[in-house]
Amino acid sequence: MAPVVVADQLTKQYGRHRVVDKISFEVNAGDVLGLLGPNGSGKTTILRILTGYLQATSGRALVAGFDVVTHGLEARQRVGYVPEDVPLYSNMFVDEFLTFMGRLRGLEGKALAIAVDRASEQLSLGDVRRLSIAKLSRGYRQRVIIAQALVNQPELLILDEPTNGLDPRQIIEVRELIRSLSEQLTILVTSHILGEIERVASRVAILLDGRLLAMRSLNQDGGPKLRLIVRGSSVEAVQTLLAAVPGVMTSSPVNPNSLDDGSSVYILEVVDLAVAEDVARALASANFGLLEMKETRTDLEGLFLGLTDGVAA
Amino acid sequence: MSLVRGSFKALLSKETKALFSSTIAYAVIVVFLLLMGYSFTATLFINKSASLIHIFHQAAIMMLLLVPVLTMRLFAEERRAGTLELLLTSPCREIEVVLAKFLASMAVIVAMLVLSLSYPITLEVFGDPDWGPVYSGYLGLLLLAGALIAIGLAISALTSNQIVAAVISLGLFFLLWMLHALGSLLPSPFDNIIIDLSLSARLTPFLTGSMYLSDFGFFLSLIMFGLLASVRALARR
Repeated sequence: MAPVVVADQLTKQYGRHRVVDKISFEVNAGDVLGLLGPNGSGKTTILRILTGYLQATSGRALVAGFDVVTHGLEARQRVGYVPEDVPLYSNMFVDEFLTFMGRLRGLEGKALAIAVDRASEQLSLGDVRRLSIAKLSRGYRQRVIIAQALVNQPELLILDEPTNGLDPRQIIEVRELIRSLSEQLTILVTSHILGEIERVASRVAILLDGRLLAMRSLNQDGGPKLRLIVRGSSVEAVQTLLAAVPGVMTSSPVNPNSLDDGSSVYILEVVDLAVAEDVARALASANFGLLEMKETRTDLEGLFLGLTDGVAA
Repeated sequence: MSLVRGSFKALLSKETKALFSSTIAYAVIVVFLLLMGYSFTATLFINKSASLIHIFHQAAIMMLLLVPVLTMRLFAEERRAGTLELLLTSPCREIEVVLAKFLASMAVIVAMLVLSLSYPITLEVFGDPDWGPVYSGYLGLLLLAGALIAIGLAISALTSNQIVAAVISLGLFFLLWMLHALGSLLPSPFDNIIIDLSLSARLTPFLTGSMYLSDFGFFLSLIMFGLLASVRALARR
């Protein structure tokens, strides 16, 4: 099956400043690709090129097989887009807004009414549907903007920092929603927060200064992992000790000098999570301070910090 | 094609609703009609002639003042609120977005001019007006409003600040209106070129009952220019 998104050597340049630099990637049907990078790394620009809002300086982008420049209408017809700033018409009612966005995407009559009902149900808008958008809380505004993106059942859903500015419970709701939607459609989601991407994406692309540093699948990672923060005499000493604990397969320091109190973050790949006790005992007997230990899904943090440190240096 | 028409209808009804559900349209219409009514009554009692020439001239000046109020927010507000991104990433064309805003603003002007028909009707009831200049005068005002709205839209599309859009539109409108005064100071052939670009020089024949194809062409070209400039301004992002 053809990929839903193809980005081919995308470049966006403002004057001499390259915001996006020769980025190529593909997103296959059913995938959730996370674009991860600090603020200003070009994530939003890439999304805006894919949605036709910005034109790339060079390179090509296809959505559902349609070139976003030469076949913009067809491409945009197949994309639902949730911009970061949650732009809404505050003079409209929720239902009116969703109906407007549905009509804009070519829905009419009964099909339109059904589509608006379905999207409202998906986002549990309930009684809020009859309210003026100006009266909505931040959480409901976020739901409405996601609902409009889903109203015509697009093939691709693009979410720009969908959990920004939400409270912890709302963040979990949005995460759950992305997970359940990923069963029906292809999703492209950005965040500057590692944990967010780890929790929802099946693949991740790491961006810095407009360049694509790495592309990584999050499903095929090896055994269970532990993330530790340890204060010790030196990173090497801690690492040697950790590597010697039975059951620890690999250990890698994540950021050798970056924590303020002299401690460092380590990611251990272990045979099973019970090894955690042995690790704690070994550290205690060597008089190293174990400040934190928890299970982690990926070694993305190491990859991310390693890549971004290397480039910054 | 049916898809495109559907989305255009959606845009047009959204724009019309936004203008008529805000107080802006009503404020513009009421102020216009109040001032026009005042001068209509005053000139009628002073001149005792069944003609609308004075009124039309004043209506034109009012348009220069009121059109920026209508157009200033049309794109500037969408740009500020970020909703422009929502519109332009949905499957509709830029020209549809521009045309919807243009036609909705024209609807306000048409409503305003239809209500002002009470003046010629009053003249008809109590006197014997010459209807020729009335028809051509209304046509001239419509063309002028069209040109001003199109240019005002383009200016609004360039900025995210409504006030900036209004001030620049106002300045440009008055400059274009008074261009003939500047033209008459210039040596030939520049004098004629500049005078030909003056809004008031182009409008005056309509108000006195004479219609020239060149004046039609002038206003229609201005409308086309303004609409295309708006599309260009939107594409610049």
